[in-house]
Amino acid sequence: MIRAVYQWLDRRLRLRPIEEMLLNEPIPGGTSWMYVFGSATLFLFFLQLITGMFLAIYYAPTPDHAYDSVQFIMSSVTFGSFVRGLHHWGASAMVVAIGLHMLQVYLYGAYKPPREVMWMVGVALFLLTLAFAFSGYLLPWDQKAYWATQIGINMIGTVPLVGDSLVRIIRGGDHLGALTLTRFFALHILFLPLMTLGLIGLHLFILRRVGPAGVFEERRAVGKSGAVRAERRRRMASEPFYPRQVFMDAVVMGVVFLIVVGLAVGLPFPLADKANPSDTSFKPIPEWYFLFYYQGLKYVHGPLEPLATWILPAVFYAVLMFLPFIDRNPARNPVRRPTAILLGVLFLVGVFGLMTVSLQEIYSVPTTNPSVVRGQERYAKLQCNGCHRIHGSGGAVGPDLSYVGRGRDRAWLIRHFKNPQAVSPGSIMPAFSLTASELDDLTNYMLSLK
Amino acid sequence: MERRTFLVRMTGFIMSLIGLTLSIPLVGYVISPAFRRQTQDWAETGSPDELAIGVPRELSYVVTVNDGWLKTTATKSVWAVRQPDGAVTVFSPLCTHLGCGYHWDSGDLTFKCPCHGSVFDMNGKVVAGPAPRPLDRLPVKVENGRLLVLYKEFKAGTPQQIEL
Repeated sequence: MIRAVYQWLDRRLRLRPIEEMLLNEPIPGGTSWMYVFGSATLFLFFLQLITGMFLAIYYAPTPDHAYDSVQFIMSSVTFGSFVRGLHHWGASAMVVAIGLHMLQVYLYGAYKPPREVMWMVGVALFLLTLAFAFSGYLLPWDQKAYWATQIGINMIGTVPLVGDSLVRIIRGGDHLGALTLTRFFALHILFLPLMTLGLIGLHLFILRRVGPAGVFEERRAVGKSGAVRAERRRRMASEPFYPRQVFMDAVVMGVVFLIVVGLAVGLPFPLADKANPSDTSFKPIPEWYFLFYYQGLKYVHGPLEPLATWILPAVFYAVLMFLPFIDRNPARNPVRRPTAILLGVLFLVGVFGLMTVSLQEIYSVPTTNPSVVRGQERYAKLQCNGCHRIHGSGGAVGPDLSYVGRGRDRAWLIRHFKNPQAVSPGSIMPAFSLTASELDDLTNYMLSLK
Repeated sequence: MERRTFLVRMTGFIMSLIGLTLSIPLVGYVISPAFRRQTQDWAETGSPDELAIGVPRELSYVVTVNDGWLKTTATKSVWAVRQPDGAVTVFSPLCTHLGCGYHWDSGDLTFKCPCHGSVFDMNGKVVAGPAPRPLDRLPVKVENGRLLVLYKEFKAGTPQQIEL
């Protein structure tokens, strides 16, 4: 049936040459599981496109209703929480996929001539992905969204001369509000998707004109006799894109899809409280892929701050963009590019090191001190999180306790737990009757939060 | 099976599986609120004692309407008649012919619709005009001395009462 329709169309539109052009692209050195990251990224982009279109069915981009409409999707629409979960985790997965894709291209030296333009278009696509992540994060209009965006925009404000103007343009005014939300919404669902589709088209067009880079060296043929080597090279050079590479790409897409579905079902992404510009106690935690940067910012203060907020990122993106012209070593084999590989490794160690430190600071409890663990359990049992917030989870009635250990000492905390009003006149916190050891545990837990 | 055929079929299988796993939730996502009945709450309209027996009165009250994620308030009005036995009958304010608003004529003691001349008596029965059925009665109850009404709308122009 499908075949008949295809043949009917083919007789009129002459589809066969296009089909052959699309499917028979030769991959030098043959198909490989190393070449799947680009199509995984493309797949995730389309998953974001589809789930995003469906989210837009119920979403309202106004500060009055954005939060309620997302709440409505989560609680009242069948599969609403699932679709939003797919979009949320799909975004994370896309950052991972594009990162792996760039690492593979870097490792294989595939950005080198004649593929400089393809690399640069790819870097532009990476920047668009980050813009997607940043603009999309604001849309639910909850506390996390509002304050994370506030901080992101303020960092742009540290750029000299143009910083203030840039901030105003991004916000659409002097504060984060209705005009910010509509422009982020338009950017996220219209400008960025169309630009991304265009650049993906260009990226693939260049790929088809230049051809895939393939293996960096036909090492596999080393040591064979001349005839064997020649025969092998001919066979490997002629392996077409279809069906084996398409099959590998499909398998990876299936696995990626399963992971995203699993995360959407198993780890739903709840809304925080509705954005409240007057609640300055909220301490937002950025998405995991910005954590390394968030951590790095903690080490730079005072006059050096612009270094971290914009100089280093600007230099990094500039180097990334013009990498093919900076790295003039013609070799593609990593063995013969020690400097490039060393720099790459250092970069990865830096990023993952900072990320690990950040995750530890945010989530881990020093398990060396069992009293702190017991204190954390006591905190949960007393439902302190009904009023207090620690790293973004909990209520906003009482003070945020994320860093309470920095400002308070043991004596103050113990007196406070015994009689809150004695040390904080006017506090509405009730006095809990705790045994001496429970009091000690809770205090130790508070002191560990810094 | 040839290796090539296997790869092609597996590719097709995986892609169909992804498509199916995605399309079923997405279809449910789109259609689910479309078929959900709007839930209305009982609305308080005052005290039944304010109504004189046999004299219909138009009662206006404010209700909260759940419009998807939007909560709005709307003013509804209904016609209430206190019967000789004390029970209160409440009519939808829309004529059963084509949904016009009718009024009470205290001269000849009938409800009159200005659009096409339908006339109803105090019990909602059609006395004259094109109306295909009596006035629609709304659920009503008295709790703690307050008159509570459940607002509903019905399809106009049909001999049977069909709730919207």
